[in-house]
Formats: sequence, C-alpha cells, structure tokens
Amino acid sequence: MAALQHLVNLIAGPEDIGRSRWFWAAFAAVCALLFVNPLWLTEFEATNGAYYLLNVPIALGLGLLWGYCGILSFGQVAYFGIAGYIYGIVAGNMVGDATGPIIGSLCGLAVCGLVATIFGYFVFYGRVQNWIVPILTLVLTLLLETFLGQTAGYQWRVGSVQLGGYNGMTGIPAFQLGSYVVMGYGFYYYVLIVVIATYLGLRLLVNSRHGKVMLAIREDAIRTELLGYDIRARQLVVFVLAAVLAGISGLFYVQWGNYITPSQVGLVQASLPVVWVAVGGRESLLAVLLSTCALNWLNYTLSSEGYQYALIIIGALLVAVMLFFPSGIVVTLARDLPRHLRTLRGQRKGEVQ
Amino acid sequence: MDSFATGVSIIYQFATNGAFLLLSALGLIVILGMMNIINLAHGELMMMGAYTASIAWHRGVPFWLCAILAFLVVGLFGAALERTIVRRFYGRELGALVVTWGISLILSQGALMVFGPFLPAIPIPGGSVGLGQYSFSVYWLTVIALSFGLIAALWSLYNRTTFGLQARAAMQNAAMARALGVNTERIYMLTFSLGAGLAGFSGALFAPTVSIAPFMGQQFVAPAFITVVVGGATNVITGALGSSVLLSLVKTPIGFVFGAFVGTVALLLAALIIIRLMPDGISAVIQRQVDRRNRFA
Amino acid sequence: MSEPILRTEELAKRFDGVVATNDVSINVPRGELRCIIGPNGAGKSTLFSLLCGIYRPDAGRVFLKGEDVTRQPAFRRVRRGLGLTFQTNRAFHRLTVRQNLHAVLQIAREDRPPDAEERYRFALERFALDPDSEMPAKELPHHQLQWLEIAMVLAAGPDVVLLDEPTAGMSIDETLQTGAVLKHLNARGLTIVVVEHDVAFVRDVAQRVTVVHQGRVFAEGTVDEITAHADVRRIYLGQA
Repeated sequence: MAALQHLVNLIAGPEDIGRSRWFWAAFAAVCALLFVNPLWLTEFEATNGAYYLLNVPIALGLGLLWGYCGILSFGQVAYFGIAGYIYGIVAGNMVGDATGPIIGSLCGLAVCGLVATIFGYFVFYGRVQNWIVPILTLVLTLLLETFLGQTAGYQWRVGSVQLGGYNGMTGIPAFQLGSYVVMGYGFYYYVLIVVIATYLGLRLLVNSRHGKVMLAIREDAIRTELLGYDIRARQLVVFVLAAVLAGISGLFYVQWGNYITPSQVGLVQASLPVVWVAVGGRESLLAVLLSTCALNWLNYTLSSEGYQYALIIIGALLVAVMLFFPSGIVVTLARDLPRHLRTLRGQRKGEVQ
Repeated sequence: MDSFATGVSIIYQFATNGAFLLLSALGLIVILGMMNIINLAHGELMMMGAYTASIAWHRGVPFWLCAILAFLVVGLFGAALERTIVRRFYGRELGALVVTWGISLILSQGALMVFGPFLPAIPIPGGSVGLGQYSFSVYWLTVIALSFGLIAALWSLYNRTTFGLQARAAMQNAAMARALGVNTERIYMLTFSLGAGLAGFSGALFAPTVSIAPFMGQQFVAPAFITVVVGGATNVITGALGSSVLLSLVKTPIGFVFGAFVGTVALLLAALIIIRLMPDGISAVIQRQVDRRNRFA
Repeated sequence: MSEPILRTEELAKRFDGVVATNDVSINVPRGELRCIIGPNGAGKSTLFSLLCGIYRPDAGRVFLKGEDVTRQPAFRRVRRGLGLTFQTNRAFHRLTVRQNLHAVLQIAREDRPPDAEERYRFALERFALDPDSEMPAKELPHHQLQWLEIAMVLAAGPDVVLLDEPTAGMSIDETLQTGAVLKHLNARGLTIVVVEHDVAFVRDVAQRVTVVHQGRVFAEGTVDEITAHADVRRIYLGQA
C-alpha cells in the first residue's frame, strides 16, 4: 500500500505543469469523457480520433529527450519508420497466425532499440559536442528515406512482403489480441489506453530520482558528471527510450492505415515532432501532449484543403513560436495566465472598495 | 602511358567526390565556423541558387554569369534572413537549428507552390578532354579547380584581410571586439550573407548535374553535414579540406563498387567512427599536430 | 595509512602550443588542508581538471587513495571520493535550491565516509541554506551561490574536495565565514585542496602551500616559509 502511495506521489509530482487537485480532477474528467466518447461517435470518427492520438508517444519521447534531458534529435521519425516497416514485414509474413501482430510489434520495437543503442553508443560515448546530435540523427533519417525509396524492384522483398520503393508497403495486417482483430472502436481504445499509460509512466519517470538526474544533465552535463553520474549511459538510455516511443507511434500508424511509405521518414515528416514539441513547450510533458493532439487535428483538417499549404503553415508556425514563444505556447500560457488572472482579480477587488 | 592515364583517372574520381563534398559544405562551414550557427536551411539556399541559375540560363545568360548571379541573389537573401530572424538566436545553438529548419520548410514548400514541381534543366556546359582511353569532363575539371580556388580565397579572406581579422575577433570574444571598435552586427550579417551566397553558388554549379526541383537541396544536406561534423569547428577551413579528402577516400572506392547510395551510407558510418575517435573533428587533430611543431619552452 | 590521498607523478598537459602543466608531482596527505597559489595563468585550474578527469594528461599519472585513476573518467573518480567546485560557479542556476541539493543525494557510495552526512548538515547550517527552498538558485546572493556549490559537492560524501577559488567575489566577512567552515570540515576528516588568491584566507586556513608558476611546482612549504620565500614574491611581481 505504501508502495502504491509512493507511486501516486511520484506521478503527481512537480516536474510538469498541472499539479493541483483541480488539474487532476479535470484530467480524470477528460479521460472519462474520452472513454465514453464512442457512445455517440461513429466508428469512422472514433478511428479518426485515434489518428490524432497516435503521434503522442513519439512527441512525448522527443519532449523527454529534448525538454528534460537537453538532447535534440531531428530523426525520431526514423524509428517510427523502422518499427512500421519491421512490423509490416514480420506480421505480413505471419498472416493467418494469430500471434503474428504481437510478434511483429515486439520485433519492430526491438529493432528500434537496437539501432538507437548502436547509434547512441557512438554519439554519447564519443562525448561529441551538443550540436552534432541533431545533425547526425537527421542524416540517419534522410539515409533511411533514400534507402527505402529505392526498394521498388521485385527483388526487394523479405519473405512474401514487398518493400515497395516510393509506393511503400501495403496490406499491413491490423493488430490482433488472440483472435480479436483490433479495429474501429477497439483500435480507438487500444491507442487511448497506451497513450494515457505512456503519459502517466513518463510523468512518473521525470519525478523519480532518474528524472532529477536527467534535469541536472540538461542544465550542466559536466557538473552532473562531477557529482558522480555516468552521464553517457544515462543519455543513451533516454535516447533508446525515446526511440522505442517513436516506434510505438509507428506501430499505431501502420496498424491504423495498413500501409507505410518512405515519406514517413522524410525531411518534412521529421520536422513534425520538433514542431509539436516546440509549439507546446518542451519542458512539459502535458504541454507536448496537448499541442500534439491539437496540431495533428489542425494538420488533418488543413490537409483536406490542400496539403501544400499545411506544410507552409507548419514551417511558419515553427518560426513564429521560436521567435515569440521560445518556451512554447502552452507552457507560456500556463505560467503567465495564473499571474494575469490574479492581477485581474486584484484590480476588481480594488474597484469594489 | 596507359597506367599514367589510369592513375589520372583514379585521381579524377577522388577529386570529383572531394570537390562535391567541399562545395556542398562550403556555405555551411563559413556560417558554422564564424558564427557557431548551424543553418538547416542550407539545402534550400543551394536550391535557390540552382533556381536562379536555371531561370537566368533559360533567358540566355551564359552559365558562368548565372553562377555569379546566384551568389549575389542568395547572398542578398541571406542578409535579409540574418537581419530579420537569425540574429535573435546567437548564443542559442539549438534554437537556431530549429528556426532555420522552419525556414527551410517554408522555402522548399514555397518553391513548390510558386514554381511547380520542376524547373527546366541546364545541360552540362563544356565538352570533354581525352587522355588515353579515358575522357574527363571539362565541367568537372573546372569545378574541382574552383573548389580549391574558393578554399584558398576563403583562407586569404579570413587570415589576410582586415575583415577576416575582425570576423575572427568577433567570433572569439564579441564583447571585446566591440570594445575595440569592431562592428560585430555588420560582421555577422556579412558572414551569413557570404555563407548563403556560397551555398547559392554551389547550388548553381551543381544545377546541371541534378534535376532542379523544390526538394533538391536534400541530397546535399547529408554529405554537407557529414563533412562539417567530421571537419569539426576548431578551424573550419582546414577541417573542411581534411574532411573532404578523408571522406572522399571512403566514398570513392565504395561508391564505385556498390553504387552512390551505399557510398553515402559509408560516409555516415565513417563519420560515426571518426567522431568516436576524434570527437572534436579532424581540424582539432590537425591543430594539435601543427602545435606540436611549434612547441616552445 | 601513509599513502597520500591524492598524488600525481610528473603530470604534463599542453594546449595549442601552450604548456599548461609541466612535470607536476604533488602529494596531499590524508586530512590536510592544502592551498595552491600562483600568479594568474600559472596552470592551477588545469591541474584541477587533470586531477578530476576533465582533461587527460599528455604524460604522468594521477593517484587517488593509492589507486591509479589516470585512465578513469571523471564520474568514477567522484565515486571513489573526489569532489570539485569550479572557478566559475556551476551550481544549477535555473533549478531551485531544493533541486540542486536533491540532484546529488542519489549516489550510493559503498565507502561513503561515516562523517559525510554530519559534514553536509554542518555546512548547510553554517551557510544558511534551506534544502527544501524553492527559490531559483540564480536568485541567491553571490556568496550563497558559491556556498551552494560547495554544499552540493559535500552532499556526495567525498573524502577529498578540490575548491577552485571559492571566495572569489566575496566580502571579507563572507571569506572569513567560508574559511571557518572549511577548517571545521577539515578537522572532521575532510581533505581539502583550495586554489586561492586571497592572502589573508590562505594564512587563515592553510596547513601547507604549493606555489605553481608557468605550469610547474615552484615552491612548497608552510605559509610562513612561502611568504618568506624571496622568489615567490618575485614571481608574483612578475620578475621571474
């Protein structure tokens, strides 16, 4: 019981905006609402809802990596793509086998972890300067896109699954739990539960002792090392965790749409997690969560108008946020709104007198 | 005669790859080395140069003039960019990275919207020169010569002129430089402008070899950044030179046997290994060797 | 134990043609309060960086508690009992006092000295630092910020600490206070090596003084021996 209490204390801890009872009441209310939603949504609307949510894990991973640990990665989408393609290959070759999707998912995440470990080893144990990480992660994702783009030929297949070049991989099986195929409302709940669990789990992490050390590394890595911490190992672990989270989003994506193309790991897609995190505010998991959902909704709505405009707007949004809201829009609001409200209340009291 | 021709051909292969890496990275290097800003819009600036060249060439302007025009146009654009946006991010490395990325999105998408998916191609200028059983493109020979020339010119600019002296002072200690009367604002603007102009110039130079499209900058981004990362920031000019040579030694044989893409992958792997062994890049190692020669006391 | 807690053998380091450290061999016995002095640019901070592992030496070796740690990364030396504060204050300025101190308390050291906790609590009390304060560290007055960094290092429970100009920018009273705390900590078993310029401070606390000049150990002895040393006066006045 004490352990549970301790866990709850950690989750409710101070390393994120939103700490009061009001917040948690609202949080619970929103979660309850999201769970009850499908009662009045069509199956199509519910699946769309899941689409707005499925990018939350990759965004939270980048928020953790950049906002809490100070490491900027431009190539999180590489792991998104790796997980998606590996799942497609493994589950695609195990069609008819009910354990296919689960094994495919585990393989996808495992390969993400492996690639991130190898890449991260060279980068963090090399103690490279800070600016090198975003560049090399970007290069990795660009190379992945180029590689996947030229896999059009028939010889580019694993087992019975074609990689498909620029047209991508199609016919990717949906996720399955036993004999239950996760689609429609089921898919909505599947994504919702994982997203909420991810947020709470990460909140637990950042409030734990490991989270405190992460903050210290972000603030001053050398000072932290001189307090006795192996910063290289800790950076590597967070990097791998962020990669696995990106992989989870990749899995959701292919399990939702049953296809994936190399453009998912391209330059434009690579910029999106950075935009979501920067717009919300990288130093708060909650801000990242909110902005990701909001911007995904915005992107989807704008795309129905004209894809090209959506991306210019996103680029302009990024520039504007970096110039005028360097801490992120949600974080700035969360910090400044209470102050403004208090001033207003104070003024009104003065008037009454 | 035969083996001599083969020897020349091999050197030619290495030189074209090296020149490609060097020219791709040139604009980036100037801005990184002098201002510690990583300009992620670099690829798009090269694209702008190629676009300028294509538009000018198809109006009858001779190619060499197109390249110079590209230098001026993109340089001017770079100055405007620096004045409005980039200057607010000095000292904020990661912030500069992110904002220049936003700019690159706007530029590439904007190019797509304004000019459509393709611009008409430019044929490779000049003919070829024969030696034994090999023929060498005059165009590439010129590009190789130009890349050496540009590096030499940059070196003179930064080590032999007043502007260069002031720029290096501003880079090492901006406050002190200002106290000595150096107009650091102007230096930063000129430097960014120069870096942008060089990117545009390189873009124009490479225009005949690629399809001129909104996202063409992408193919240069990976090699350019790898060259810069391996070169290091200690001394960007020697770093760039050393890095191009070293990486070309990796890319040429591998690219020859396995194809261009595997060559670029080999570059990334080489870069990862090199920075593991030399975290501050090649320029730091070169600097240590030079200092060892100059030891005193 | 006759083995000095900190020892170097012919340590050498050069940067870009400048010899920062040249054939430095020092011995710090356990429990000593040693001051390192020398004109600016003499190589004192470089020596500290070599001792704690921020730099690898070009030649020579570093021994901590008898063990050769020359090849060990910095964090491993800290785990073996070393602590360091920096010349330019490197507490976590954007974090609160509480966060600064709590970032540290997580290390479990197998051979944490039994007095470590008491030394840490003593320092907190005498430095008037509240470990639960939510005040951002950068809002502390300068001298308390310096003290905060010292307290952070003490929280890890070191056996020997290297302090790089801890009283820089402090008033006379604050300097005296710092000296008093250091002497008490030293009496409780903490080996302290301080780089300092303040002559009064050195006189007040030092048991032994090492003079560094142009990267070399120039002289070593008690405070009286050093102040009487004619050559030391000359190097400070730039005559040697």
